[in-house]
Amino acid sequence: MAEFSWLSRSPLEHALVVGAHGARDVASGISLTEVRNFNLIQIMARRGKGAELASAATARFGVAAPAVPKAVSASDVTLIWSGPDQFLVLSKSGKHAMDILSHAFSQSASLSDQSHARALISVAGAKARTMLAKLSSIDLHPTAFPIGAAAATSIDHTSVNFWRGNDRPDGQPVFNVLVLASFAESLWRTMLDAAAEYGVDIGLSEELG
Amino acid sequence: MRIVCPFCGERELGEFTYLGDAKPARPAAGASEDDVFDYVYLRDNIAGAMSEHWYHAGGCRAWLKVTRNTLTHEISSVEPAAGVGAAKVGA
Repeated sequence: MAEFSWLSRSPLEHALVVGAHGARDVASGISLTEVRNFNLIQIMARRGKGAELASAATARFGVAAPAVPKAVSASDVTLIWSGPDQFLVLSKSGKHAMDILSHAFSQSASLSDQSHARALISVAGAKARTMLAKLSSIDLHPTAFPIGAAAATSIDHTSVNFWRGNDRPDGQPVFNVLVLASFAESLWRTMLDAAAEYGVDIGLSEELG
Repeated sequence: MRIVCPFCGERELGEFTYLGDAKPARPAAGASEDDVFDYVYLRDNIAGAMSEHWYHAGGCRAWLKVTRNTLTHEISSVEPAAGVGAAKVGA
């Protein structure tokens, strides 16, 4: 019998080429970075267990899970609102992996491991808003969408979880996009097209912003 | 047309999917064939304010009950459909 070995690979493995893309006669206005190797767990309260889930989340993560469209961060985890009574847990290094969290939330919630089901794309730079405005109808003005704001929305007809991370050290905004794996390449190419005129710096990272 | 999702805020129509009339209520088990036929097939064609079910498919994936005027598209209320995280509305 044939032996199988299962390798987890990024859905952007073929599409992503690290380096410069698009306009060369301008300073790069956008960084598009794929973040790989993360743990991502979807947690949804069982019916009527919203309050119980909220207190279990605070006990587990040390911060309250967002009850409105926001992303909140603790030292080793980011909790991203994804809908009423549900949120995503984004972390590294297995500390909040499925087998651990499923014990912590077994009484109040249903969990689903999305670690290899989504691609995480970070859009940053001086032209990030201008580029995203081509694809999204969300108001990204700093007063309307401050650091920590989140949205479950559609970008180019593709459902995404979208949130604003901390600004880069150079003060430029950072927007994070979680997209379903099978849609990732399509959205990636759309983003590249939208960003090309501003000069793109394509990168890979294993660090959560 | 835009719909103000009670969970997400104002969003474009493209994020929503239309189901239809929110009024029909599932008949009790053992209801007459006529009642079931009415529930499954018969719909009023309302000119004016109508209660409708919409699904925020491109957003938070919540079912919503929207009161919309079918003549003007004016939306007078949007609330979560029964059972949808209702405790969190307005938070």
